[in-house]
Order: sequence, then structure tokens, then C-alpha cells
Amino acid sequence: MAIIEVTNLKKSFGDLDVLKKVSFEVHKNEVVAIIGPSGSGKSTMLRSLIHLEEVTGGTIRVQDEYLVHDGVYADSKQVKSITSRMGMVFQHFNLFPHLTVQRNLELAPKYVKKESAEVLRQKSAALLKKVGLADKADVLPGKLSGGQKQRVAIARALMMSPDILLFDEPTSALDPELTGEVLQVIKQIAEEHMTMLIVTHEMGFARDVADRVIFMDNGEVMESGTPEQIFNQPKMERTRAFLNRERTEIPFEICIKAGEINNINNGQ
Amino acid sequence: MDINYLIDITIPILEGARTTILLFLIAIITSIPLGFGLTLLVRSGVKPLVWFGNTFIYVMRGTPLLLQLLFFVFGLPILPVIGEYLVMDRFVAASLAFILNYAAYFAEIFRGGLLAIDKGQYEAAQVLGLSRWHMTTRIILPQMFRVALPSVSNESITLVKDTALLYAVAVPEILHFAQTAVNRDVNLLPFLVAGVIYLLMTLVLTLLFKYFERKFKFE
Repeated sequence: MAIIEVTNLKKSFGDLDVLKKVSFEVHKNEVVAIIGPSGSGKSTMLRSLIHLEEVTGGTIRVQDEYLVHDGVYADSKQVKSITSRMGMVFQHFNLFPHLTVQRNLELAPKYVKKESAEVLRQKSAALLKKVGLADKADVLPGKLSGGQKQRVAIARALMMSPDILLFDEPTSALDPELTGEVLQVIKQIAEEHMTMLIVTHEMGFARDVADRVIFMDNGEVMESGTPEQIFNQPKMERTRAFLNRERTEIPFEICIKAGEINNINNGQ
Repeated sequence: MDINYLIDITIPILEGARTTILLFLIAIITSIPLGFGLTLLVRSGVKPLVWFGNTFIYVMRGTPLLLQLLFFVFGLPILPVIGEYLVMDRFVAASLAFILNYAAYFAEIFRGGLLAIDKGQYEAAQVLGLSRWHMTTRIILPQMFRVALPSVSNESITLVKDTALLYAVAVPEILHFAQTAVNRDVNLLPFLVAGVIYLLMTLVLTLLFKYFERKFKFE
């Protein structure tokens, strides 16, 4: 069953067509990696799903409700209701710098869902433990490393109990030795069958974690399939060319190792 | 140096310091919220309000405070028709000039604070489903005030020294009493005493704002 259906999505900035007739589906509990060169429209597409970008045309259906239908958006209440079922993790974390880690996590559920202090405290403690940062609850984000910040951001998104989690290049702003710890957390959530869309440049990770890989180029979905199909038998010449360029990257397994070493060093 | 003479001249200067401090407190307490209101006006997106806010800021920042002071104290009462209703106590008129002038500067400081906030903060608040009100009051404003703090500190120290402009509209304050004593006794000591009092006031402010800056540090 499709939890997200995107049909003929179009987005232009002036004369520039960033998205040209993008169509795809995401099924419940599926982990979809979106790969492609810079400027291919992957991030714009992801941001459109949660209404950070307004599309110029096409349809987005989430859990059988229209966010936008043939370029016409639902009323703002409906938009809010649909986007509230999605969480988003940004490339640059976007933690609230003036609030402690714990308050970063608890702010939205406190005001949006009006959850009690007791419930909030239990949930935030459990999620911080899950991302390996139980000891950082009272710390300001400025004191954390990039990898730790991103793990807090993931926990913050999970606090709202989303049905779908979107990741916009979650490791692109990190030093290479810090990507492992973040990818590990994402992998762990994937294994719990969260529906996820991950825009990423980490090919090894996409291959390892995704149920399906979508290759985008020049504002279009060029190819979509299992990691096996995309990485081993790509049908399109452009997919092949792109993957060849990316081959020089450090494999995900090595990143994970680096992450583990990092954790050991932190006494975790 | 005669200690009794020192005490004799210091007492009236301290008397004057009461006016200085009163003006400072009135101006700072009213011009900061007013300036913040102006920032909101300028960013409201409502054309006439934006125009009014920008024009006000341009005029108040673009002309000397001394000119504004003279205008409020001596100019308003001689305006045709409405002038006779605008006769005020000189201190009150001067306070108004200070409030409006500093509000314009604070408006610009807060605007700068808002511009410094990363758009990712708005996006994070939006995807978490926060209402406009909660986004503004819990995410944006706390960061804006924090970013603006060093500039607000700077501006308030300038305000302490600008109070000396009251001298020009004959409202007795620190400088007035010091100048009177210097003329009368042909002695520089009253100027030194006045200087030390200004330094003490700015020192208190400096320490206070340093404390705030430490307390609200992001990291």
C-alpha cells in the first residue's frame, strides 16, 4: 500500500525547472534512498513533501489524502495535518541553539501535542538513550560535535512520533569520521520499519539500508529499483556514469567502523 | 587637596546624577519595547506601516539628537495652532526626544538580530508543527535578543553619555553642576568628579551586560 504517491510533480524557480514531472510511490515501512548528482532536484523534491517548498504543478498524496492535487494545495489546516505526520532531519541539523538538548526534544510535543511534563521527560530520556546521548540532556547544542548534533536532531524528529521520516543529506555537513555514528542511528531506525526517505550521497549506506533506490538527474526520476538493480545492473547510461563517479567514495562499512571507534573513545 | 571642598562639590553633582539616572531609566525602559515594536512594524509587510516605520527610523537616525532635543523642548510650543497644547515640562519634553531617538536605534539593532537568525530555524519550527506564535516567542525572539545583546549594551552606554545633552536645554544634571562649580571656583576638580561618576555608571552597565551575555551564551 502506497503511503506517499507523487504524480507529475513540477517545480520551477523562474525559468529554471527544478522538478519536471517527478512521479514515484513509497510504500508503508519502506526505506527509500534518493541518489543523484547535485542540482538534480532531490532535496527540492523531499522538501516539497513536507511543504517547505511549494510546487508549481502535480499531485502529492500522503496516506490517501491530497497535500496538493494537480498543483492546487489543500486548505492550510489539511496541509498542517498532513505534514504533521512527517518528520524531517536537515543537512545542517537546525537545532535550537538557545535550548538544551532535552528542551530541543520536548519543545514541539509540549506546545503542539500538549503532552505532560512527565510523559515528555520519559520520551526524551528514552530517545536520547536510543541515539546514545543520554548524558547530554542538559547540554546546549553548541557543545556537541556535528555527529552528536545530528543524532539529537533525529531524536527531536522522533519525539513527534511521525509516520514518515525524511532525511535531507543527513551526513553531508559532517566530517567523514563522524558520519558513521549518524548512519548507524538511521540504520537502527530503518530496522524498526519506519517509513523513510533519505536523500544521500553515501552510496554504500544507500545500498546497505534502502529497500529501494531512486536515481534522480536533471529534475527527473531516471531510474528506480532495488539497490541490487540500481548499483549492479543500472539500466540507464546516466545512472552508470553517476555511480562510476561516486565509486571513489569510502565504503559505508569503514564509516561504521570509524563510528564505533568514536563511540569507544567516548566511553559508550 | 581639601577633602571638604571635594565633598562640597560632589553633593550637587550627585544631585544632578539623579536626573541623569532618571532620564536613563525612563529612556531605556520605554525605548527598548518601542524599538522592538518598530521592528515589528517594519517587518509587518503592511505597506503604510512599513513606510511609516522606515521613515521614522531614517529621520531619527539621520538627524542629530541635539537638534531633536531642541525641537522637542523649544520647538514644539511655538508650532502654529497646536503649539500651545504642547507646552511641557522641559525634562518631559527632553525625555520624549531621547525615547524616540533611541527607539529608532534599538529598532535597527533588533532588525539586525532577526536577520542573523538562520532560515533553518524557521524551517525546523515549521516541520515540527509549531504555531506562528510559539515559533516567534520560543525560537525566534530569544535568539534575536541574544544576538542583539552586545549592541544593546553598547547603545545603553552611549545613552548614559548622551544624557549630558540635557545641558543644552537647561535641565540641571551632572554636567550642569560640574560646569557651574568649575566656573565659580576656577578649579578643574568638578570635571574630574563628573567624569568619575559617568565612569561608575557605565561600569555598572558594562558588568551587568557582561553577566547577561555570559548567562545567555549559546555554547
